[in-house]
Amino acid sequence: MSLVDAPLAVGYTLGDFLLVAAAGFAVLAVGMLYRAVVGPTMQDRVLAVNVLGTNTVVILAILGAALGEPTFLDIALVYALLNFLMAIAISKFTVERGGVL
Amino acid sequence: MADAGPPSGDDDPDADGSPDAAAASDADAATESASAGAVIVPVEPSSTLRSTIAHVAEAAAADGAAAIHLVEIASWRNGDPESDERAAAAERVLERAAAWANADLDDSEAPGAADVEVVTAVLGADGYLFGADDYVRVLAEYAEANGADRVVLDPEYTPVGNTTLLQPLEFGLSNTSLSVETAPVDRPTRRERFRTEATTGRFVALFGLSLAFYLLLGDPTYWFDVVTGVATAAVVSITLSRVSLDSNPAFPRTPMRIVRGVIYVPVLLFEIVKANLVVARVILDPRLPIDPTLNRMRVIVGSGLPLMTLANSITLTPGTLTVRARDSDLYVHSLVPWAREGLFDGPLERWTRFVYYGRRAARLPSPRERDDVAILQGDDATEELPIAAADGGDPGSGVESESGDGASVEAESTADPTDADEVTDR
Amino acid sequence: MTAAPIETARVWLVVALTLLGLFFSFVSMVGVLRLPDVYSRAHTASQADTLGAGFGLAAVALTVGLAGAGFKSVLLLFFIFVTNPTAAHAIARAAFEEGIVPWIEGDDRR
Repeated sequence: MSLVDAPLAVGYTLGDFLLVAAAGFAVLAVGMLYRAVVGPTMQDRVLAVNVLGTNTVVILAILGAALGEPTFLDIALVYALLNFLMAIAISKFTVERGGVL
Repeated sequence: MADAGPPSGDDDPDADGSPDAAAASDADAATESASAGAVIVPVEPSSTLRSTIAHVAEAAAADGAAAIHLVEIASWRNGDPESDERAAAAERVLERAAAWANADLDDSEAPGAADVEVVTAVLGADGYLFGADDYVRVLAEYAEANGADRVVLDPEYTPVGNTTLLQPLEFGLSNTSLSVETAPVDRPTRRERFRTEATTGRFVALFGLSLAFYLLLGDPTYWFDVVTGVATAAVVSITLSRVSLDSNPAFPRTPMRIVRGVIYVPVLLFEIVKANLVVARVILDPRLPIDPTLNRMRVIVGSGLPLMTLANSITLTPGTLTVRARDSDLYVHSLVPWAREGLFDGPLERWTRFVYYGRRAARLPSPRERDDVAILQGDDATEELPIAAADGGDPGSGVESESGDGASVEAESTADPTDADEVTDR
Repeated sequence: MTAAPIETARVWLVVALTLLGLFFSFVSMVGVLRLPDVYSRAHTASQADTLGAGFGLAAVALTVGLAGAGFKSVLLLFFIFVTNPTAAHAIARAAFEEGIVPWIEGDDRR
């Protein structure tokens, strides 16, 4: 019926594979967290959090597909908007004169 | 580049911005202007243009000024599609303004009124102008060529459309030898900054876009979504149509841009994937063979959306990252030398010009051939880094060593209000 | 039970796209961790990550199907392609205005 239930190999379905992939993206996001903690500059942290946020969007979308929850995509959309806003706002207000954009 | 001028022909701007008509009148006006001087009035259709001209004509007649120069500063570039129509429209505005000025002079009682000459010109159409400092440069050059010493500004002068340039323009002009004043005329209720006139075209375009977006997320067949969608789109377009679009959608232009944009997307995607693979190899290489530098490239695209498209395309193409856009100068950080060379070959600039101005406009020499590029760091550096911490001083001083375009650099470092702010802030 | 060949092709395409997405996200993470300064990190953050997210979202769109909620995924993809470089540009510009000098070869800060 749904593509998620299509068999892939040895009894596992595409849905299972997507869940594993989402876990992979989560591991990458945790790796990015190192840069967010270490820095050394504020811009490094913002950058790392921005990449982390993009990863979160992808994780949300993949989970939505794997679990058959299309509403996750709406959440991912809102998250992407907020992520962009976060990057712009922080870069704008960490600079003394606030001259970015 | 030879260009088919506007239909009227006579007032077609030359490369140095001094039209035939002005040059001819100058021959006899120059002798008097040494004593009396001439007045420059930048002209753009506005609600106070008529009274500004009346004021200028009266003042000129009273102090016996040699000439009134009515100039329109071009927001287009000769050779682009539609530049002819826009030049023709500018000519019409200028003709009307000149007619007003002549009528006012004829009505004037002052004895010097008959000697005042009215001259019109279109300036700065040989390149894109970015921001107030370019306008100041163009006006100063014209004033020098024509012996003018005074600039009178229309209080509603808004040449670029959605931002009023008046304050930075006034500030920049006050740093030149010209004297500046804003015409003391009554104006209608002051509009807020960063707003343009609400027009039906923009309203409809934004309404349609927001409604389409809403219904794409919702269900177009469900009446509740349609009703809320219309309400939301109405709120969005009423509040934002004046800030989010700065020019009217035009019939053949806007759809053509969209079509050419759709052609561009797969090309860009292919480039992104191809270059990403190469950069992936560089990054995963244990030796990490990178040689990053900051570079400067002067690009020939209009300000606003075209510049944003180009800057974002450069950023998306791996190995290059736009750090800063200062007028038409893009500061681009490159990770590896081949990315820098690819950038200087200018394919993305050509593609952007193709998307926004059509195929004819896309044929131009690469930035490298135009000598519009510079490397700011490392062994091959040709310019200093324009960063305060790097040279310990004025951010403008770093670019001054460039040979080609001294005038604009000077105008930038002396007359740019943001630079002045930077200096005072430190 | 055997799926139709077209279904099988779609399944494997989803797998391939997801793996590509994972690969480029991995490159992005390695870049952000390894590269010496904020400007070079912004390269991989904006480019490799955009491509990684693009492949991942394309896989999702293909899985869900364009008739359903898949177009939202396409919308998301388009959105990320526009905003990611813009955000990277804003961050790089903020660093530039703070006066952070880009790292060049021979610089000892890592």
